[in-house]
Amino acid sequence: MTVRPRGLLLPALLSAAAVVLAACGGSAGGTAGGDAGPPRAGGTLRFAVGSDAGCVDPQQVGSNDTIYSVRQLVDSLTDQDPQTGEIEPWLATSWQTSPDAKSYTFTLREGVTFSDGTPLDANAVKANFDRIPEIGARGTLPKGYLAGYAGTTVTSPTQFTVSFQQPNVQFLQATSTHSLGILSPASVAKSDDDRCAGVIGSGPFTLQNYVKNASITLAKRPGYAWGSSLFAHQGEAYLDTVEFRIVPESGVRTGSLQSGEVDAIGSIGQQDEAPLTGAGAQLLARSNPGVVFGIAFNQSKPIVSDPAVRRALLTAVNRDEIVGGVFPSQTKPATSVLASTTPSYADQELTFDPARSATTLDAAGWTAGPDGIRVKDGQRLTIPVTYSPVAATNKPALELLQQQAKAVGIDLQVQEVPIAQASQLQAAGDFSALWYNVTRADPDILRGQFSTAGANLFRLPDGPLQALLTAQAAEPDPAKRTAIVGQAQQELLTEGVFVPVSELTTVLGVGAGVHGVTFDASSRIQLHDAWKSDAR
Amino acid sequence: MTELLIREGTPDSSGTAPGSSVALPTPPTRRERLRRLPRFLGHRPGLVVASLVVLLVLVAAFAPGVLAPGDPNVGVVADKLRAPSGAHWFGTDYLGRDVYTRVVHGASLSLQATVIAVAVALVVGGLLGLLAGFVGRWVDEALMRVVDVLLSIPAILLSLALITALGYGTIKVAIAVGVASVANFARVMRAETMRIRRSTYVEAARSVGTRWYVTLWRHVLPNAAGPVLVLAVLEFGLAILAVSSLSFLGYGAPPPAPEWGSLIAEGRNYLATSWWLCAMPGLTIAATVLSVNRISRALDGEWSRAR
Repeated sequence: MTVRPRGLLLPALLSAAAVVLAACGGSAGGTAGGDAGPPRAGGTLRFAVGSDAGCVDPQQVGSNDTIYSVRQLVDSLTDQDPQTGEIEPWLATSWQTSPDAKSYTFTLREGVTFSDGTPLDANAVKANFDRIPEIGARGTLPKGYLAGYAGTTVTSPTQFTVSFQQPNVQFLQATSTHSLGILSPASVAKSDDDRCAGVIGSGPFTLQNYVKNASITLAKRPGYAWGSSLFAHQGEAYLDTVEFRIVPESGVRTGSLQSGEVDAIGSIGQQDEAPLTGAGAQLLARSNPGVVFGIAFNQSKPIVSDPAVRRALLTAVNRDEIVGGVFPSQTKPATSVLASTTPSYADQELTFDPARSATTLDAAGWTAGPDGIRVKDGQRLTIPVTYSPVAATNKPALELLQQQAKAVGIDLQVQEVPIAQASQLQAAGDFSALWYNVTRADPDILRGQFSTAGANLFRLPDGPLQALLTAQAAEPDPAKRTAIVGQAQQELLTEGVFVPVSELTTVLGVGAGVHGVTFDASSRIQLHDAWKSDAR
Repeated sequence: MTELLIREGTPDSSGTAPGSSVALPTPPTRRERLRRLPRFLGHRPGLVVASLVVLLVLVAAFAPGVLAPGDPNVGVVADKLRAPSGAHWFGTDYLGRDVYTRVVHGASLSLQATVIAVAVALVVGGLLGLLAGFVGRWVDEALMRVVDVLLSIPAILLSLALITALGYGTIKVAIAVGVASVANFARVMRAETMRIRRSTYVEAARSVGTRWYVTLWRHVLPNAAGPVLVLAVLEFGLAILAVSSLSFLGYGAPPPAPEWGSLIAEGRNYLATSWWLCAMPGLTIAATVLSVNRISRALDGEWSRAR
């Protein structure tokens, strides 16, 4: 299969599709700007985001605010169409999947170079893939994508085969993510921490400057000519520079956008929507696929190892109240472990039923204590929930959840950890319960998170779930795979492995003079086609 | 140490009563003082208001239920972000919780931390200063160089470093703030001790053969403590600020505990739309700190000067 870039038809198609799909419940890739005339080159886009992951290596970053910037540094082998979910060519012009889904052969585009001048060839890709399994705790995402990696065979400078020990159907989608973005061999060879200070890629922008917790500045890559087939135009990016500023207060971000101090902002709070639309800003929204916001338990810890406690929490959550009270108005309550925009999602009809929670806990021997918190064998029903402040909604959502849990006699204790420490803490298993979400446009994220064969972050015991997770990874027939994934979603809730609460909707505020900011399939932004009317 | 004491001054047998104050030659009777009080306060409305504020804060700290009977951690989500009104004096926050109730209940956490911080600073700093001033020589040199080092580091930075080592929580914040202001207390205590140590009644005590630790406890400490106690009240205001700063940065009690600093931090995201979330706890902190400062000024001899 060889697909050529589609040229001029795409801009029209994309914006038309965006309008149509935005009307169908906000699940579309959004493009900003209507009749703004032809795109103009030049200018600086100033983008305010809420947090900094302390790392600018795309393979080691999992927090959306930082992915916005690091996504622009690297190209991926493939791209995923946000509307259809189809995998499209980018660095790879074509690929073949073996019938048993154990090996993938890619043909690379020619003439691609990293910004340090070295060519992006099959050997560079091999160096990346060989290195990924050795990345530390920060690299959970790409390590999961390459689980069972057997090796890469280079047959020519533009052709190579990636093989796995077991079937791995999610790999093709994984090659479209920022986590498997290709870095230059020089960057690959550095240590994890050195890579966090700056990496070299082949993307439409290069890293100009990174000041921790202050700013990430990107500069246009001159001579860039290998954009994804999904990009609206080929050639260099329109913007000269992009400056990401870290502004933790959502109120200050909103004010900065209103005053024109910045051109775009991320993580919009519910309270900021009205002032922004009033000031003429555009709100772009897309629901993130993957595992929804919710609580997962470390099942090796006491109390949360009791399935009754986990199931009781599942029915104690009033999702409508939390979503309506805390999240941006475009957000939907969770209806499964997977978000509704994920392929193979199946509605599990989650209910709010505190009476059932009470019955479940009573049956398991947890009886109400003097202060309303339940007690069993002298032990209070206290669950510490760890979270990191990656989104402004995390703390209010948890505080509300805490109130709701208290109503059925569960004492949730909310503990904040800095973003930079979160992945180490998870890897070490130093938590009882974890509030988090993961974005991924493939249902295999369930295996990545809940398989005992991988990192097993949540110390799950073996059970019927594991067979389902393994089976879906090896099922090349999409319909059969969807059925297996549906069973897995049901099993996750039956066992109380995860308490889904709310979907994540990425909402960006973009100034009226900014156009062409698009969401990719994982609801992260692509800035290659972005441009400014006043080009300053 | 006894040698050291004997070396000081010549014995004097004039026999000044130990511990008697030299500052007030003719101490006024109780009735005279009571008669002066209304006029003294009448000229100082600021002091009266400050005392009332501190009284309210103390009531809030020890019996929050009297001022605000509601539960600070439970709100009605439908009533979120309401502006201050008769029903909610300070408005409601992003989860519909009453900000007034949260500020009142937050007083006990914030004041508890402040009291611990000042106590740590007073006890540790006071003892170091007393030792340095009384013993002198190399002990003084060594202790004062440590104090120099402490003074050269900005207090908030030192607190942050300590928090990183100690971990999060109200008590740990309090200890971090307390340790950071040990140096101030040590300096003032040392200066006072050195002054008192050379006074006649201490020499007298020594000449009659009083043991050094009795002299220190009975004669030096009570007379040197005055300025240090005034400093403690002054530091109380500063400690409220420091504790609130650290809790603002998220090092205090975990949510949903309504510490004053974290209340302000929570309101940051709503500044543009709901000013009362930050303004009300902020004004409370400002009023408390100003009031404590006013009272400490009054304690620092304003009464005796105002005759």
